[in-house]
Amino acid sequence: MASELSSENQTDSPVTAESPAAPRKGLRRRSFMQALGGVAGGVAVMAGATRAKAGNSWDSATDLSDEKLMEMYTKMLKSRWWEEGMKDVFLKGDDKMYGVCHLYIGEEAVAGGCIGALNDDDYIVSHHRGHGHLINKGGDLDKMSAEMFFREGGYNKGFGGSMHITDVSKGILGMNGIVGVSHILGAGAAYGIKVRGGKQVAVSFGGDGSVNNGWFYGALRNAALYKLPFISVIENNGFQVAIPTTETISVRDLSQIGKGLDIPSYTVDGQDIFAVYAVMKRAVDRARNGEGPTLIEAKTHRFYDHAGMARAKIGTLGAFGLPYRSDRDVHAWIANDPLPKFKNALINLGLLDEKKAAALEADVKKQVQASIEFARKSPMPKQEIGLSNVFAQGTVSPSQLHA
Amino acid sequence: MAVKPGNYAILEGIQAEMKTNKDLTIFWQNRPTAVSPMGKVIDLGKEFGNARIPQYTAIDEEWYIGACAGMALTGVPSIAHTPYMCTTRAFDLVFNQIGKLRHMTGGQASMPMVIWQDGAGRQPGMAGQHADAGQESLYAAIPGIKVVIPSNPYDAKGLMIAAIRDPDPVIFWHYGQINAVQTDVPDEAYEVKIGEAKLVQEGTDITIVGYGPAMVEINKAIPGLKAAGINAEIIDPRSLKPLPIEAIAASAKKTGKLLAVDHGHETLCGVTEIIARCAMMGAGNKFHRLAFPDAPPPGNKEMIGWMTPDAPKIVAAAKKMMTA
Repeated sequence: MASELSSENQTDSPVTAESPAAPRKGLRRRSFMQALGGVAGGVAVMAGATRAKAGNSWDSATDLSDEKLMEMYTKMLKSRWWEEGMKDVFLKGDDKMYGVCHLYIGEEAVAGGCIGALNDDDYIVSHHRGHGHLINKGGDLDKMSAEMFFREGGYNKGFGGSMHITDVSKGILGMNGIVGVSHILGAGAAYGIKVRGGKQVAVSFGGDGSVNNGWFYGALRNAALYKLPFISVIENNGFQVAIPTTETISVRDLSQIGKGLDIPSYTVDGQDIFAVYAVMKRAVDRARNGEGPTLIEAKTHRFYDHAGMARAKIGTLGAFGLPYRSDRDVHAWIANDPLPKFKNALINLGLLDEKKAAALEADVKKQVQASIEFARKSPMPKQEIGLSNVFAQGTVSPSQLHA
Repeated sequence: MAVKPGNYAILEGIQAEMKTNKDLTIFWQNRPTAVSPMGKVIDLGKEFGNARIPQYTAIDEEWYIGACAGMALTGVPSIAHTPYMCTTRAFDLVFNQIGKLRHMTGGQASMPMVIWQDGAGRQPGMAGQHADAGQESLYAAIPGIKVVIPSNPYDAKGLMIAAIRDPDPVIFWHYGQINAVQTDVPDEAYEVKIGEAKLVQEGTDITIVGYGPAMVEINKAIPGLKAAGINAEIIDPRSLKPLPIEAIAASAKKTGKLLAVDHGHETLCGVTEIIARCAMMGAGNKFHRLAFPDAPPPGNKEMIGWMTPDAPKIVAAAKKMMTA
């Protein structure tokens, strides 16, 4: 169990292995360990497992309340089944879906663990594969679905589609179609927090491909210089579109990039929500205390293709037969699916049983279907609306009709 | 000679040039490969090796566009293939380096490089960053770089070869909309001269001009124009810089009417320059311009479709100009 749950190596260790003093921790931790102990069958093994779960020998996952853990699990379910629902809608074809859809399925523990450590008023900046970030930050399924259908009731009123879903009111500064820009926007949001003297943090998510351009370095360098409340999370799913990450950059652990700037930088098992949470919690505490940025690399797996539904099938998890990766790998990744892993942990903790889990899943699926129905019924935006929202006021001229 | 898709035709041209020019290098964010309708495969990486085809280039356009400029200074010619959502990533390097170096160095620096810039065009469902067009006019406003923009696979191959052979930097615009245009493409290498317009159709009533994806739509408008009894003269400039203004102005002088179509944004889109020059030359007395509005492209297909100057809008505009 310990090795299965253990996180990747930590490439930089500026903080000590002891957990930060956390009030009320004793009781919670004891009950957490007891629950685990029931399964692990011994205190020694159990203690080892707890540390491993927490990642990097930290046990801050124990500060999660039962309610919070169940909330995180429900959000992971929503993220999984909303995207599976979108997959089905695209594949069935009845709704004549168009545009792009980058599925996050397989990577959910990263968003879950990271955003689980945030407050409602913190900021996130996402990327093209960001549905999971949105849902974890409180994104509304109805409005997300309607945006996938480019309807008036969508988050972006049909202007944006999948790649640009945004909810500023919830601190979701948007998904974004340009690789790497999330980091510089996130660092900018963090600078804004500094200017206003707030206690929030800003988090940017980016894929492994996002570390290879100047925006990423600019964000890290300046966040370190100004001690900004900024956390950059790199979701390394091993492929820049269809190119292995190993072919695009010389370092294996992308967290290494932060070392030269003296930024605390960690590589963590992105399939383990507890490990991700533990590392993120540290980063968030540091940021709120004015100690500056953290760089986190989460190693993870994308079960489907880069974009779209190539080789995806209704009722099957994962896309097999894609030319740039082996099916054996995909099978191995799915064996390490973060969702059942989280579920089993909650069962071990006594928070869930199979019956409850099934009911919860059924309820989430119902919400997803309801959101798709909402999207179908949402009106089409009027064509002329495209001339608005260019500036705060007024519309631009319909120059396609000038003659 | 066969009908070939745009991507294949361009790679075929590059393949021929790589055979004769042993230093020619191409940066590409994936494997530069294409398959012809006959099943013939071009795989430049396999054929020319890793140094000249640095496969698996990271998503870092500034790196390789800048690298191409540095290579050019040492006499190594290169092509920087830049994806369609990054049409302005090269801008500062072009503005401050690539376009200026020959002049600033008193003629010492040569810039034998091509920026192969893909363009998205007005695709539904992509929204904002992935459905843009018209940025060629931004580059045409920069001294020291040539701007070419084919509207079909034949011109694409010939212009790419001309761009590679040119001692000066060329930005080559390849919009996805041109890929499926049916043109015969010779197997061998040939040049389409940079700065030379193509007379698409001879006519007497009105001159219609546009390039790249706009020309694709103008071509689609031909049956509608005929049905309306309009004998249009259609010209594809193919280059924005140098601009083949003489051919267009001669036509506008003949017909008296110039309808310019652009998928770029209304303000300062490339055809604006054509209209201004024709007016200054006294060529024509009636001018109109159809362009995408000064708004980013929305995702919803009805919205973006309505905002795009397409074949029906071109026919309607020509009719209006004929009767007004």
